[in-house]
Amino acid sequence: MNKKMKQPFDISQLVDELEPVRPMNIRRALILPVGMTVAAIAVIATYAGIRADLMAGAPHPMFLLRAGTLLLMGLVCAATLLAMANPGVGRQGHGWKTALAAALLFPLAATILAIAGQPSGSSGTMQSGIQCLTFSFIGGLATAIPMVLWLRRGAPVAQEKAGWLTGLAAGGLGAFAYNFHCPFNSVVYTGFWYTLAVGICALLGRLIVPRLIRW
Amino acid sequence: MIANEEGLRRLMRMSQSGDKQAYAVLLEQCGGWLARYFRQKIAPDAVDDLVQETLISLHRKRASYDPSRPFLPWLAAIARYRWVDRLRQSYRHQTEVLDHHDAAEESHEEVVGARISIDRLLDLIPLPQAEVIRIVKIDGHSIADACIQTGQSEALVKVNIHRGLKKLAALIENE
Repeated sequence: MNKKMKQPFDISQLVDELEPVRPMNIRRALILPVGMTVAAIAVIATYAGIRADLMAGAPHPMFLLRAGTLLLMGLVCAATLLAMANPGVGRQGHGWKTALAAALLFPLAATILAIAGQPSGSSGTMQSGIQCLTFSFIGGLATAIPMVLWLRRGAPVAQEKAGWLTGLAAGGLGAFAYNFHCPFNSVVYTGFWYTLAVGICALLGRLIVPRLIRW
Repeated sequence: MIANEEGLRRLMRMSQSGDKQAYAVLLEQCGGWLARYFRQKIAPDAVDDLVQETLISLHRKRASYDPSRPFLPWLAAIARYRWVDRLRQSYRHQTEVLDHHDAAEESHEEVVGARISIDRLLDLIPLPQAEVIRIVKIDGHSIADACIQTGQSEALVKVNIHRGLKKLAALIENE
């Protein structure tokens, strides 16, 4: 639209079009992915059920570690992403890199255990892995949609980064939601299937999101 | 009259509330600020278009300004985004010598604007990439001229322009 504008520019036209706007606020924006994550947990609990140890009120340490790591990564990436709707030179969030590095400890530990040939519990089946991917992806999609819509309203200036962050946030929160059902406690299972789920979401985010938020 | 951070910030807050009078003043002042911001960073005949595009972006994206934060870094991010977008999309030959009639105004803003300037952005990418972007995309010379001036091969100039613009797009919010 802008490129084709050849008529004399008239500021008064923009002034005439002025309507009051509500400044975009990240605290308001964060409600969206958090709410969708809660909804995803509810849906997964309804259709697939909750882990037995959770139902018994005695969660396994792996559940807690996985939940904490995924939630931290998902929320930090989501907060960084949503803040990108309000651009500004000098505004850069790097916290997501630390959260991502912490999450990478799972695949790293899984690789070491696999190489060392140490038993790490059941690694599940292909079917359970596919279920992990599917639920994480659907949960991630539910959280990604409101975040992308928020970005479209805003003015993100680093769109490739926004794409990666959308995928990481959505993948992290989607996997966090699936974790409430996932019956496996193996480091190898977590390091492979959860990493694959988040990684695929990140890649999809990088490929799809930039073209949706260009302005 | 030179726009200042506090004044612009107040005007933007009032504009977000729907104050048309404040908005008219804001656009006027931002137009002047942007013209100085873009000068020497793009072919002279493209400055007006770029200022207009940035003002339209300011209008469309005005909700993305957070009133609790400084205004000029927000405007500079919008301006840099439009500038990089323009560099990526078009190339215009420039032959006119740039004048410096607003040097006093520029020095007045130097302290405030140094960290958010376009020069600063170009400093953030590798020198060979910045050089060829300046020569081809900003000064309007040909690829062949860039080869002569930098000693880079034609293929390398093209690669460096492509990579440099990609990096610029990723570094828009960097100081």
